[in-house]
Amino acid sequence: MSRIGVFVCHCGENISRTVDVEQVAKAAGEIPGVAYSCDYKYMCSDPGQTLLKKAVAEHKLDGVLVAACSPRMHEKTFRKAAEAAGLNPYLCEMANIREHCSWVHEDRGMATAKAKDIVKLMVERVRKGKSLAPITVPVTKRALVIGGGIAGIQAALDIADAGHKVVLVERDPSIGGHMAQLSETFPTLDCSQCIMTPKMVDVANHPNITLFTYSEIEKVEGYIGNFQVTVKHKARSVDEKKCTGCGVCMTKCPKKKIPNEFDQGHGMRPAIYVPFPQAVPNTPVIDRENCTMFQSGKCGVCAKVCGPGAVDYEQKDTFTVEDVGAIVVATGFKLYTIDRKPEGSPIQGYGEFGYGTIPDIIDGMTFERLASASGPTGGKILRPSDGKEPKQVVFIQCVGSRAREKGISYCSKVCCMYTAKHTMLYHHKVHDGQAYVFFMDARTPGKGYDEFWRRAVEEEEAVYIRGMVSRMYQRGDKIVVMGSDIQVGTQVEIEADLVVLATAVQPQDGADLLAQKLGISYDKYNFYSEAHAKLKPVECATAGIYLAGACQGPKDIPDTVSQASAAAAKVMTLFAKDQLERDPVVAKVNEKYCVGCFACKKVCAYGAIEEKEIRDRQGNLVKKVAYVNPGVCGGCGTCQATCPSKSIELDGYTDEQIMAMIEAL
Amino acid sequence: MNAKASKTHVTCIEPAYYEAITEAIRKEAVQILKDETVVGVVGYLPGRRKGTASPALVTTAEEAGKLIFSPACVNNLSVYLTKAKKGVLKKGKVGIVAKGCDMRALAGLITESQLQREELFIIGVVCPGVYGFGAERTGTLTEANIARKCRECSVHLPDGADVAAGTHTELADLTPEEAEEMARIEAMPQAERWAFWKEHFSRCIRCMACRQVCPFCYCEQCLCDKNRPQAVESSPRPAGNMAWHLVRAMHLAGRCGGCAECERVCPMDIPLNLLNRRMAKELKELYDFEAGLNPVEKGPLNQYKEDDDQSFIK
Ligand SMILES: Cc1cc2nc3c(=O)[nH]c(=O)nc-3n(C[C@H](O)[C@H](O)[C@H](O)COP(=O)(O)OP(=O)(O)OC[C@H]3O[C@@H](n4cnc5c(N)ncnc54)[C@H](O)[C@@H]3O)c2cc1C
Ligand code: SF4
Ligand code: SF4
Ligand code: SF4
Ligand code: SF4
Ligand code: SF4
Repeated sequence: MSRIGVFVCHCGENISRTVDVEQVAKAAGEIPGVAYSCDYKYMCSDPGQTLLKKAVAEHKLDGVLVAACSPRMHEKTFRKAAEAAGLNPYLCEMANIREHCSWVHEDRGMATAKAKDIVKLMVERVRKGKSLAPITVPVTKRALVIGGGIAGIQAALDIADAGHKVVLVERDPSIGGHMAQLSETFPTLDCSQCIMTPKMVDVANHPNITLFTYSEIEKVEGYIGNFQVTVKHKARSVDEKKCTGCGVCMTKCPKKKIPNEFDQGHGMRPAIYVPFPQAVPNTPVIDRENCTMFQSGKCGVCAKVCGPGAVDYEQKDTFTVEDVGAIVVATGFKLYTIDRKPEGSPIQGYGEFGYGTIPDIIDGMTFERLASASGPTGGKILRPSDGKEPKQVVFIQCVGSRAREKGISYCSKVCCMYTAKHTMLYHHKVHDGQAYVFFMDARTPGKGYDEFWRRAVEEEEAVYIRGMVSRMYQRGDKIVVMGSDIQVGTQVEIEADLVVLATAVQPQDGADLLAQKLGISYDKYNFYSEAHAKLKPVECATAGIYLAGACQGPKDIPDTVSQASAAAAKVMTLFAKDQLERDPVVAKVNEKYCVGCFACKKVCAYGAIEEKEIRDRQGNLVKKVAYVNPGVCGGCGTCQATCPSKSIELDGYTDEQIMAMIEAL
Repeated sequence: MNAKASKTHVTCIEPAYYEAITEAIRKEAVQILKDETVVGVVGYLPGRRKGTASPALVTTAEEAGKLIFSPACVNNLSVYLTKAKKGVLKKGKVGIVAKGCDMRALAGLITESQLQREELFIIGVVCPGVYGFGAERTGTLTEANIARKCRECSVHLPDGADVAAGTHTELADLTPEEAEEMARIEAMPQAERWAFWKEHFSRCIRCMACRQVCPFCYCEQCLCDKNRPQAVESSPRPAGNMAWHLVRAMHLAGRCGGCAECERVCPMDIPLNLLNRRMAKELKELYDFEAGLNPVEKGPLNQYKEDDDQSFIK
């Protein structure tokens, strides 16, 4: 390359304050092969770009260097401008004389000298640069959504409504997640199931959605636009195609006293069951651990009573491979295990609260079920031990959350609000009852949230005590709650009939294993990590995988739904094109010299390197070499640094370019 | 693949011991050629001069009957499978006579996808040691003529071989000359140590014998032969020499099994194995890793672990 143009930017005063830009431009002009150089106030502005385009034409430039800010800021801008002027965009590079120079130095003379050096070596990189063509990869316009809570449901419906096929995979026998369990929802107190079930039915009926419940992700292969996902369909023991959902099997099953997970163990269900009456799909599953037929081989009642003959005790797990182009992860949360320290976990339990031993100490989700019209008490607040209506209820916030010594330092975000909601629901149902809340502070950011909380305190007569509870124990049929009121500075003791713990929101069990299959990252609690906390809150660092809902961090329903729709929008953006364009800064193998040691394959964090066989014309294996899948390569350059014989190189960062840069110094 | 043997005080190994190994190798090699388990055996034949041995690929039972093992069998034969006689592997399974240190190279080459265990029949030698360079070749191995590396060998037993030739003999507990020399260099002030290596490297004539003999320098084009761009100056001048030796040391770190072949063949007597051992020590201290004891999926320099030592990042 012999006709390079160098454009030195003042960046207002950001650069010119400490760097003598005129001198830098002048020095650049003297480098052999530089045909044109100038300085300008704002290169990124419209006139600045026009200047660049004009110079390319006038001086017949065959390479461009813009000495300005970080390429992360404006590389795209200038490459576009160069392309508009008829150059290959990859023949345009940036020299960073702002972040790497003017911003970090004070001495004008030295900063100017450094800027000249940076320009000098970048000119060499441009000189050795090559034209590159963007890489295109085909996109399979079919999405996978993992998890059928409100997040997964919303994302699936949005993508399907946009006209794309969606596969929704849910681990449980029904979709719905935690929202299906809620009674009424803050901040409007509308009935959760009333707003949830229509969406669940929409999922089941949508022509674009394939729903797999009672299924899990077994294996994930491929990359953005081209994933191959193996789904494991756990044996339901009921043929979904034959079952009409009449439910006779459930009424006839002799094993009826199994604690129902949906009611947090406070209601009962048979061994063949649907989790709740509005379940989608309405096809029962057999809980093999509790089914007499599976345990002792005797019974078979459900098979006998089933009209269409759908019950199948021999059913096995099956597997399907789904080709999809994008994945939305929406696996939600679970609640903190309060009674004990889970094995091998840094999370400490709350043994001192007597949860698990005192029956009338329950968690928030159980309270939701007690308050729900479809719950085990038909919506009456009755305590588990003796079914009496509690007249004094103590709510404790932040159980597990914001307690570094207990293993979790984050705030669970929804507990302040749902506790306020619980006091209201309680007050509406037990008019002569009194609710007490132990709290650290009330966190109510959100539209209508503070008003909601104030209503609980000011109109619904909940007594809020700022302080923590130290101990609880059973005395007669009461629970003695001992705590402190730090505002008054005294100890308090309340005799409660029922205690409700607002326990921390944690990622689902197995969240880390799923992340490993997907190749996405997660934090120390196992919440999935977004690519950028502010600017890429729904994307994973792994291309083509997006996050929605509480699996990324505690969230209420409005936030969950917003994020789910955002993730769906990202998927639609990806699906808007038939081909995916990627930056061609990817590694290439020199097959002549590669000796197939596969050191590169071992170090590639993106899994981009495969083994390729080289055969002669007779089909005999000559050797094995490395092959980089350009759709997967992230352009990190680790392989290049690792290859002993330098047989693999990153386009745009070739050894030749780097060596030329070093030599220029 | 290898295990450590115990040592007691015996000062010399008589020719009879080597003869027994020779017998065992012949028997095994003849057998596997006859029953067509292998298409050839890489081993040692007597050299033209008395008391010497030279590497050979034998393909008939008759030739196999002439294989030997003696203190003169210094060569690491694994290099023949990746370079000189590499073609033979295309024809089928190959037998190879391997000392403990050669076995470490085989394990490393398997790790690096250059060989596959299934394509090898390893006749492991229970090796008491070989001659040092320029040592007197009396037929008996003594403290006076044993190779430096063998004084500190920790892999006498060829664990992981298909068959073992020889029986475990009690070995002498010799002074670890190489370790002592390494300690001496480590104790030098930095400037002196720099001068020590600079002097040695300045004598290098870039004959590349060290590279040619090394089982791990199997690259089709060595980085040091590349000229576009040229990373290492190819003529024997101080800067290029230094660069070559740093490249060699770094490229062999975590791979070199310590056969010391590079040092043996160096016409300029550059103590290359000291450098190899120093890198090996680094690997042991940082990652508790010893190259070539077993084929591994990834060596420590090809993987990242969260608890990796980061103290070098300043
Ligand atoms: C007691 C309580 C009361 C609440 N009250 C309110 C309220 O009044 N208003 C409000 O806005 N918010 C409330 N929330 C918060 C609300 O529950 C959450 O915002 C919402 O449920 C998050 O939805 P999600 O889809 O992200 O997760 P989830 O509801 O947890 O759904 C996740 C789904 O993914 C499935 N899944 C998990 N792992 C896998 C896997 N590996 N493979 C396949 N599927 C998997 C699960 O089975 C589940 O169906 C409350 C929370 C609690 C704990
Ligand atoms: S550049 Fe990085 S991502 Fe691409 S093949 Fe090399 S190691 Fe893998
Ligand atoms: S590291 Fe280099 S030689 Fe080894 S397989 Fe990769 S490209 Fe080939
Ligand atoms: S020195 Fe390095 S590049 Fe050269 S042959 Fe040996 S391993 Fe390969
Ligand atoms: S560097 Fe020397 S000692 Fe190490 S394996 Fe190669 S030849 Fe043997
Ligand atoms: S064998 Fe010795 S002289 Fe030859 S290149 Fe190696 S170190 Fe230099």
